[in-house]
Amino acid sequence: MKVNRRRFLITSVAFSTAGIALFKSSLANAEWNATDFAPGPFDATMKQLLNGKPIVETDKIDLNIPEIAENGALVPVTVSSSIKDIQNIAIVIEQNPVPLAIQAALMPELEPFLSARLKIANTSFVFALAETEKVFYSIKKKVKVTIGGCGG
Amino acid sequence: MSSIKIRTKRLDGNTQIRTLISHPMEHGRNKDKTTNKLIPAHYIQVLTVTHNGKTIATCNMGAGISKDPYFAFLLKGGEPGDEIIIDWVDNLGSKDSAKHTIT
Repeated sequence: MKVNRRRFLITSVAFSTAGIALFKSSLANAEWNATDFAPGPFDATMKQLLNGKPIVETDKIDLNIPEIAENGALVPVTVSSSIKDIQNIAIVIEQNPVPLAIQAALMPELEPFLSARLKIANTSFVFALAETEKVFYSIKKKVKVTIGGCGG
Repeated sequence: MSSIKIRTKRLDGNTQIRTLISHPMEHGRNKDKTTNKLIPAHYIQVLTVTHNGKTIATCNMGAGISKDPYFAFLLKGGEPGDEIIIDWVDNLGSKDSAKHTIT
């Protein structure tokens, strides 16, 4: 097959981008990844986070968050679970400009438990995701916000 | 003074680790009311928890975490005298670290 210059350029660019993507995913747990925390639509963030793994809805994750948050700048949240071998816990807020709030890699020395305080811009679904080796488990809860978390 | 406060508590054979960090956690979209200019983003990106020299949690976060963030973790077991170290690094490269001994 004749490989002309243009074709060569296109394939080499394609290969190098694939290489970068692979490299990035292998480091995902170790290093802060700017694209995960880039402002963007919820779907894109989820796709990036799931990285091809299937997602299963479950009731085995306990997502403890108030149904009505008076102040969206400070919403306490607690995630715990009875699922075994959880490696990562992530919290994603559907309506936030940057949907991913936190991604915590937990070693086996820790119980699958994480508590934090979130900013929530608008009334939105909050997703708690628990990643095991093969799948992501998720649960969502709607939080009503009366004062947004983005105003100064 | 350190920006990190750490408290631990024994709970049914586990140890609860709570931490409170003083940090503005600005996401870069707020305006300064007096100058009407955007306040530059300034938020913690990575928080790590170390137990007796082994990293047990690495949290990557964006500015979706509240100002003066609070976190709690639950350590399996944990003995009095164990050492807990918490470090953070923010997007401007500042960092801080604090040490705590379980009592």
